[in-house]
Amino acid sequence: MRFFKFAATATAIALAVTACGGDGGEDTAGGAPARLNVWMMGEGTPEQTAFLDGVEAEFRKKYPDTDVVIKYVPWPQVATTFQKAVASGEGPDVTEIGNTDVQSHIAQGNLADITDKVKGWSEAATLNKTALANDQADGKIYAVPWYGGVRGVWYRTDWFAELDIAPPKTWAELVAAAKKIQQEKGVPGIGAPSDQTNAILSFIWGNGGEVAVKEGDRWVGRLDQPQAKEAIDFYTGLVTVEKVAPEKYVGKNELQGPQQDFALGKLGMYIDGSWALKEMKKISDKDADKWGVFPIPAKNGGNAPVMAGGSDLAVWENSKAKDAAFDYITVLNNKVNAAKWADYSGFSSMFTDVKFTDPKLAPFTEIAANTKMVPLSAGWGDFEQNKKVIPNAVKAIMQGGSSAEELAKANKQADELLNP
Amino acid sequence: MLDTAPAVRAAEGRPGRRDPGPARPRRHRPWPYLLIAPTLAVIALLMFWPMAQIALMSFQKVGNRQLAGAPAESVGLENYRSILSDELFWQSLRSTVLFAVAAVTLTLVLGTLVGLLLNRLSRRMAALVSAGVMVAWATPPITAAIIFTWLFGTTGGVVNWLLDLLPDALVGGGWTDYNWFATPLRTYTVLTVCVVWQSFPFVAVSVLAGLKSLPAELLEAARVDGAGAWRAFWAITFPMLRPIFLVLLVLSVIWDFKVFTQLFVMSGMANRDAFNLSLYAYSEAFGGMNAKLGLGSAIAAVLTLLLLAVTAVYVRIMVRQGEVS
Repeated sequence: MRFFKFAATATAIALAVTACGGDGGEDTAGGAPARLNVWMMGEGTPEQTAFLDGVEAEFRKKYPDTDVVIKYVPWPQVATTFQKAVASGEGPDVTEIGNTDVQSHIAQGNLADITDKVKGWSEAATLNKTALANDQADGKIYAVPWYGGVRGVWYRTDWFAELDIAPPKTWAELVAAAKKIQQEKGVPGIGAPSDQTNAILSFIWGNGGEVAVKEGDRWVGRLDQPQAKEAIDFYTGLVTVEKVAPEKYVGKNELQGPQQDFALGKLGMYIDGSWALKEMKKISDKDADKWGVFPIPAKNGGNAPVMAGGSDLAVWENSKAKDAAFDYITVLNNKVNAAKWADYSGFSSMFTDVKFTDPKLAPFTEIAANTKMVPLSAGWGDFEQNKKVIPNAVKAIMQGGSSAEELAKANKQADELLNP
Repeated sequence: MLDTAPAVRAAEGRPGRRDPGPARPRRHRPWPYLLIAPTLAVIALLMFWPMAQIALMSFQKVGNRQLAGAPAESVGLENYRSILSDELFWQSLRSTVLFAVAAVTLTLVLGTLVGLLLNRLSRRMAALVSAGVMVAWATPPITAAIIFTWLFGTTGGVVNWLLDLLPDALVGGGWTDYNWFATPLRTYTVLTVCVVWQSFPFVAVSVLAGLKSLPAELLEAARVDGAGAWRAFWAITFPMLRPIFLVLLVLSVIWDFKVFTQLFVMSGMANRDAFNLSLYAYSEAFGGMNAKLGLGSAIAAVLTLLLLAVTAVYVRIMVRQGEVS
């Protein structure tokens, strides 16, 4: 029974591997630390590492004896990694934080109060005000916005020209455009995946609805109100009533089908951000010069407000080198580096005066003029990313559930989760 | 996989223990115990201690503040009450059990068939086939899950492409845009295929090992008496290999009950209707920035108790059968 020996050996190896070591950073008190731990979210790419190497070289002009250690935290592990950092006391000095998680971190006391440091930073004057508001609590500043992304509707300029369609300005025009493409081009008109909270929010907001509003010190759900219901009925109706969006994206997000299909010319329109351009070029750049973007329309005209997703930079409360940590932020996000980062990453800089070099992405600057923040609650991360309340409700409605019932359920969850 | 070796060793030891052998005076010998002591110590440290922690935490409120050092407050049965009154818990439990029944049955049937096939092949072909199936066994779950998501995907998925090529009279039409992850039943179909594909090789090779130990005369005699393959299997092979099948059954039940990775990759958090208990526990305990480890522990404790109950039943059957035969 050699096989069993093999199994036993494999078990022994598995046991040995699990006993892995931890890492720890030693900081000297105040002044120039020997080591500065910087956490970046995402897998990291060679280009990002090269960019950060440049930032480190610049930073070390002021701190020649400090070693900057970058750690990449993949997005799916972000929550558990921060939980471990809190539990063990072994956190970063500087960290990137998803902007929807900032309020949770502030509520838990993880972030250092950097109000005075931000006030003494001259470049901070042109930071996006909406984004900076998300980094504050009780009048104190705990983080600064770094980059952000807004979403628009990607479309084919050549098809629109050929079929004589103008970029839609209302919901009715959006449906009409999708129908025309579907008839003439034989591909689905628009992608309406159920797992795309940020896009769905634009429809709710574009109809004057809300997810929740603050009454006193409690968040009260608004998903059961007529404006929100009408918006969800419209979005799910793209699949069930108008049949201009395919059923194959139900239960999926924009990256699990719509993006590939659009890049390959198998889908008329889909909603995504500026960062999608470089991803779509990787899939197929055959039609790249025919891709364009228009703002998500509000029901009766005008641009719907968009959720500004993105990342912020913060100094960790337990850091022993808070001054050096903030100095690192001012180098990483000075305007020269901010412009470089925007071009590399495809995300908009959160400085209102730093723009993309690529003209195709110019509409995103216009879209970004009308941003809106999600409820600034410590429970939003749980509501949006973990329980995925809106995607699950939208999925159920797309599959025949009653929107009144599903939204009542979702609203109850909003009441619970947004008041942790 | 932690529990493979001890359980299998137990099965191997069983026939020997039943063997009466020459009567020897029973003496208390410390060596066997000393030899397994290091293993026990490691398992105790890595498994029993966390299990004890989970049992304790399931009666407590453990969130971020407690992780940061604040003492955990006891909440009694609150965690259990909260999950037992959650509709999603019962739905996840049902999915978990139904999936385990389907996947375990298919794994054992397919594994046994392949094991029987391997036994009849020539040495060279057997080496080729077992090398082939071992690749499936050695594939990491996350890799397998991503591959199957692509295979069953709508954009460039091989499965939809193939089904669409087949004549419509056979499989029906309109497969190109078929969404394999839209409903729990469809998701679990893909999940079952993926999990069975990964776990049948272990059954096949274990069954093969058992078959090699069967005395050839018995099967030969059966053939002479006119028994077909079906009859010979149920009258001779199965009863002789019963201990191995029982171990394989228990192990498969344990593995298929706690499937997490594949489902997480395939349908994730956006499809709560397709949750199983593992995903439900993960979503409650770790998913958000506001950890609820007490609640997650309670779900894990329920899952563990269920598995212990299943294991206990089969161990008992095994012991009984040992006494009878």
